[in-house]
Amino acid sequence: MKWLGLGLVAVGAFLSAVLLGPAHVPLAGALSSDIVRTLRLPRAILAFLVGGSLALSGAGLQALVRNPLADPFLLGLSGGAGLGAVVALALHVASPWALPLAAFAGALGAMALVYRLGLVGGAALDPRILILAGVAVGAFAAAVTTAIVSLSDAAELRNAFLWLWGGLSGASWDSVRLVALYAVLPIAVLLAAARPLDLLALGEEPARHLGADVEPLKRRVFLAASLLTAAVVAVSGVIGFVGLVVPHAMRALWGHRHRTLLPAAFLGGGALLALSDTVARVAVAPRELPVGIVTALVGVPAFAFLLRRWTAN
Amino acid sequence: MRRWAHRTHLAGLLALAAGAVCGRGGRAPSGPLAVTDDAGRTLTLSAPARRIVSLSPAVTELVFALGAGDRLVGRTTWCDYPPAARAVPSVGDGLNPNIEAVAARRPDLVVLYRSPLNETAARQLERLGIAAAVVRQDRLEDVARAARLVGRLVGQEARAEALADTLTRLVTQPAPRAHTRVAFVVWDTPPMVIGAGSYLDQLATLAGVENVFHDIGPASAVVALETLATRDPDVIAVLRDSAASGPPAFARRAEWQVIRAVRERRFVYLTGSLFGRPGPRAPQAAAELRRLTEAPAR
Repeated sequence: MKWLGLGLVAVGAFLSAVLLGPAHVPLAGALSSDIVRTLRLPRAILAFLVGGSLALSGAGLQALVRNPLADPFLLGLSGGAGLGAVVALALHVASPWALPLAAFAGALGAMALVYRLGLVGGAALDPRILILAGVAVGAFAAAVTTAIVSLSDAAELRNAFLWLWGGLSGASWDSVRLVALYAVLPIAVLLAAARPLDLLALGEEPARHLGADVEPLKRRVFLAASLLTAAVVAVSGVIGFVGLVVPHAMRALWGHRHRTLLPAAFLGGGALLALSDTVARVAVAPRELPVGIVTALVGVPAFAFLLRRWTAN
Repeated sequence: MRRWAHRTHLAGLLALAAGAVCGRGGRAPSGPLAVTDDAGRTLTLSAPARRIVSLSPAVTELVFALGAGDRLVGRTTWCDYPPAARAVPSVGDGLNPNIEAVAARRPDLVVLYRSPLNETAARQLERLGIAAAVVRQDRLEDVARAARLVGRLVGQEARAEALADTLTRLVTQPAPRAHTRVAFVVWDTPPMVIGAGSYLDQLATLAGVENVFHDIGPASAVVALETLATRDPDVIAVLRDSAASGPPAFARRAEWQVIRAVRERRFVYLTGSLFGRPGPRAPQAAAELRRLTEAPAR
């Protein structure tokens, strides 16, 4: 019943993203319309993939660091991606893919640094150190980014922040193909980690006693979630809120078992972002809202409602 | 017939511009000058300014147009017009001015672009005993007021009056009928366009060019690509510095091909120094926009 409801919401969100927009496209001619085929369809699919990936990464990282405030950008990835993007703009790299590739590289750099710092205590990846390292690396990258922006002559650098604040305006079939191909592996790794993550939720020591390979598991989850987020940042910038709140909302509905939580988070995140992007395009047309604002405006009331129901039971 | 009408309109614009340049410089009045700037602050000068620091490219252009360019002792890194401005020492980028660098030029007048940070800077300069005027120069109608204000401060009232008259006549004359529909795209991810609140939109009206996003109130706004596609501009105008060449990077992206003007590679390139700052060259900018949109670069 719950699955049917979530499925219906997901399909509804996807259809609204394809059928609604600032341009009027008659329902009958929707599939033959250029606007639907080259703009809305890839954008809806990308929104779904990005939202789902963010929520899935968020759920995985929350389980890994056992902190309800964890979200995909906690571990320094947004700072690294921003630095990469600004460097690409400052160097006047004129390729249409320069910005996403540089952001991806920056996010990977931040991830490697955080990972290395997370291992300072020895071979074990310490979740508390991971969080601190993530915040520190993120702050450092942001400082370097701001220094470049304020010292550089290029006026377009200020626009780098516009891109970084997130949005799906760059969606195309190319970006959909890229993310879809790339994301399969980290998504599969995260979904396969569902059962050991349940054990990890009991604490590292009990999980070890129950037969979970704790250290490799933590590394796998960290790397998969970060690699997934890095790809998402490259195509859509930093879209907040989805990765933080959707996992909690799904936990309220489905409980703590990751076998159901992880797929539900993917569907829920995808539906939320597809719906939010539709609102972003339609609400103030011909202008467009930043999608991150809409995810919060749509998501927070829904989350508050779920919290109330959850605590009432 | 219509074409001829446009030509005469263009000729009119240029004649207006020429008139402004030929205006006679007035004699400086004696006695102290008291002027209220665009932030509502009153500043007093004992005599017309002799050492001026301009912290905005538009003001630099204005000071030269008023015939006081030889009294400039400091400018911003962005001040590149007229060419003589480059000979003036730079004191920084003018956005959050370095007060010490400005004071080191020993100016008796500093003119700043109106922004909250610059108003703070103006107060600091005053504490150092340096007169500072804050000038708003965002739209065409600001230029006439700015010309009068700066004209008084540098003792060139007659020239300022002539320039202000020209610009006021430019704003009030009937606009020619629009023949080309243009979208001004200032950024691509996300797509950002120029709306009615911008100086560029005013130039478009003067040039007889229709901004397809004239219904958007603010100076600029983010829009969806499908909105850009359905507005279907004949030409896409891109602001850029002169160093760049060839179509903008977004022209090669698959999703942008939905827009006819992108598919047909109908772009015009507007240099920031002429089109990005409201100033005495507004008539030339309008004429140039007209010329460019009549034969866009492929």
